[in-house]
Amino acid sequence: MPPVVIRDLSDTSGYWAAIWTMCPMPDVHVICDAPVGCFNLVGTAVPDYTDAIPHIENLTPATMTEQEVGGKGTADKVKWTYDNLAATGVLADKQVIVVSTAESEMIGSDHSSLVRQLGVGTRFYYSNSLAEDEWAGRDRVLRWLWSEYGAPHAGAIVTVPTAVNIIGPTYGCFNAPSELAEITRMIEGAGGTINMVYPYATTLSETPRLAAGAVNVVLYKEFGTGLANELGKPMLFAPFGMQDSVAFVRQLGQLLGTSDQAEAFIRTEKRTTLQAVWDLWRGPQGDWFGTLDIGIVAGLSHAEGLAHYLGDELGMKVAFASARPRRLGDYDNEGIRQHIHKRAPSFIFGTMNERIYLRESGAKYTNFIPAGFPGPGVRRAVGTPYMGYRGCVYLVQEIMNRLYDGLLNFLPVDGAYANQRNATPPAPAGDSNLGNLSWSSDARAMLDKELEKLPYLPRISASRQLQMTIEGIARQRNATEVTSELVELGLAQYRQS
Amino acid sequence: MTDIIPLANSAAPASQPCKLHPQSMCPAFGSLRILTRIEGSHPVMATDTGCLYGLTFVTHFYGASKSIVAPQLGTAELMSGQVVEGTRAAIDVAAKEPGVRLIPVVSLCVAETAGMPEELLPRKIGDAEVVLVRVPAYAIHSHPEAKDIAVAALLNRLADREGAVREKSVVLLGEVFPADPLLIDSVLRRMGVTETIFLPGRSLDDFRRAGRAGALAPLHPFYKESMNVARTWGMPVVGGAPVGISGTYAWLKSLGSILGLDPALVQQVADEERAKATALVADRPLNGKVMVTGYEGTELAYARMLVEAGADVPYVSTSIGQDPLVLPDELWLKAHGTKEVIYRKALEEDIAAIDRYHPDLVFGTTPLASAAKERGIPAMYFTNQLASRPFFLTGGMAATIEFVAGVLTKGDRYRWMQAFFAE
Repeated sequence: MPPVVIRDLSDTSGYWAAIWTMCPMPDVHVICDAPVGCFNLVGTAVPDYTDAIPHIENLTPATMTEQEVGGKGTADKVKWTYDNLAATGVLADKQVIVVSTAESEMIGSDHSSLVRQLGVGTRFYYSNSLAEDEWAGRDRVLRWLWSEYGAPHAGAIVTVPTAVNIIGPTYGCFNAPSELAEITRMIEGAGGTINMVYPYATTLSETPRLAAGAVNVVLYKEFGTGLANELGKPMLFAPFGMQDSVAFVRQLGQLLGTSDQAEAFIRTEKRTTLQAVWDLWRGPQGDWFGTLDIGIVAGLSHAEGLAHYLGDELGMKVAFASARPRRLGDYDNEGIRQHIHKRAPSFIFGTMNERIYLRESGAKYTNFIPAGFPGPGVRRAVGTPYMGYRGCVYLVQEIMNRLYDGLLNFLPVDGAYANQRNATPPAPAGDSNLGNLSWSSDARAMLDKELEKLPYLPRISASRQLQMTIEGIARQRNATEVTSELVELGLAQYRQS
Repeated sequence: MTDIIPLANSAAPASQPCKLHPQSMCPAFGSLRILTRIEGSHPVMATDTGCLYGLTFVTHFYGASKSIVAPQLGTAELMSGQVVEGTRAAIDVAAKEPGVRLIPVVSLCVAETAGMPEELLPRKIGDAEVVLVRVPAYAIHSHPEAKDIAVAALLNRLADREGAVREKSVVLLGEVFPADPLLIDSVLRRMGVTETIFLPGRSLDDFRRAGRAGALAPLHPFYKESMNVARTWGMPVVGGAPVGISGTYAWLKSLGSILGLDPALVQQVADEERAKATALVADRPLNGKVMVTGYEGTELAYARMLVEAGADVPYVSTSIGQDPLVLPDELWLKAHGTKEVIYRKALEEDIAAIDRYHPDLVFGTTPLASAAKERGIPAMYFTNQLASRPFFLTGGMAATIEFVAGVLTKGDRYRWMQAFFAE
């Protein structure tokens, strides 16, 4: 098989999955069998930007150096780290888990025997980081946590009829606080009570209590169904869009025996929260929806959900939707990059990678809205969900405000102010009107081709600005006709502006 | 009841805490930051997916908006010896980028462990140079040192050694704030320098030009490999850096003498700079106890400047190792009231120092700054707030001191915030 080349990787490894799934629980302490970089990136540098936290406090590296890699192995270092951590007192009342990394797997470190010599209950988790991605990884960690810390102690736990578990988020899940808040609100609206939010808002010692949930809501389709299946209760995915939100509340009511309350909630939501979508639909804003094309790159739930709501329900044209993990036929980053370079849609819901491709292609009229990782963002406010009823409203609100923002940037401002700032001499009087110069057919075709690449809305203003720029260059050169060379110069200048 | 007899002098801590949480960015990041910022450079990273994800994440935030390609290296590829094959395929992809002139192959932990034989990589593809940069985190230890490895690799490959040395030109080595090169260049030209080359920057040609410069002046103390490259060329190296009052004076004089500039002119400029810096400090002295504990490798120089400006800096720590290059700053600091200088530091040591010295202001890594703020002490991330301002000569000193003085007045806000969240 020819080698596979990755461009701007968007899915991380099983090791990251393990740290991000275990460490939200405060009674866990993870020792990672890692070089300093694997500790820094997953524990400090990246969660600053994904989760807006200063660092993950319950993570310590058994820092691997040349010695360990060069034949000594990492067992002594892990033991030393455990002993010294224990001496500081931070391990009191903690369950310690030793986690492998790509490099420790590379040198064949396996600490399943060693952990038995460490404090009682210490376990080894092989993160399979050289083979597993973050989605399969999170799914497996959740199952492992249940089998190690939950199932053996769950025998006596009785299912509570209206209790609902939410499985996910972990650290490193896009927009987690807002999605969680909205899904929690909807579960309660349907007549349920939250039993556990696992692992994001619970402790490891409470793991057996997962058995008390009557229904499991899996927040992200990309991981968590493995645990839900093992729990053996009915399972629902968190919904996106109007119809699926209604269906979610209805099904939940049926499963919990609270249909009356659920139906009442559905009616109220339609009249209250969703009223904004109805108002915008009836207003001038709704007229824009069908003119917009969008590209989507996000985790599986967000990719499918955004395409369904914005595409199927609101009628926007979905230029591409690529999920993480990728579905059959989804663009990889190479495909996304080529698509954007060729023709950038008017909106991209995506990651930092798409921002790079937009900048490479000079597509300054595309609105970028974050929809996944990698990418820095603070998303700790709980009022910006993409999921559920409130997600429907937040998404159209965000889209409309971006359109307004674009329009305000395009309205003409008197040129005298720009001249004053740049101190460039104004064009000679009487010669400054557009259309005074003739255009060769090549030049006209080239300009049209360039304009064709732009989203519909900014095209008109951009057309005027581009013509002015190009004719300005032509006049400077005393040209009597605009040629394709001059268009090229103008385009270059325009892209840099 | 018997009094416990202290075993150690109270000025020095009884026992340093264990180094459990080392503080450095992933070392390889230092090289990626430099390599992605060069125009025409399209890096290939040879590593596992977790590493690739994390490093491209931080590089796309702190380095450049530049697409990065990599061979897929999972269990199958690593165990069946397909590292080189995959890397060559990624090089072929990078070679198709418009304007490509350099393809750095950044080889990281798992690729280095599996083996990445340089002789099996192309040296050139089309017009682009292919340069191997080996930066396994387990062997490099800190990201400043990985910057050095990247620069040394580029100098080794690219520097133009043909033709006469341009005697009054100098290479200034170290990532600096964009205003710093302008300031340094203008002062050096007044002394008779004809050309300054700042590395590493955006231009590949600067690496070529560097080969014929009259001297190399590292502005930061961790460019050991790069200095070795210069020494093999017989290019003299200027020690120290134009930082603070005494440091700047000594550096200008040393640079003037190494480049053979007119001594009277050099003396005049050095005197002027010293007078300006002295006046600045006299006008706006710092007052307060500051801890300088980043992981950029430049901490000792910052500490020295702050001490000269009047601050009390009892504790300095850094991610780089102890080295003759930092020794002058360490000795100077110890002679001017600094009690501890810690190399390859860990979070535990820095936190213990906060509790030992009760500083008015802490510059540190993000975990340390948050620990200080939890104690109601003004604190900032060294990398974002201090290391990203003008720093050199009097102009840089003015900017840095003004900033520090401003933060020192903010204690009430930090205490208020701490009290509010402690309730």
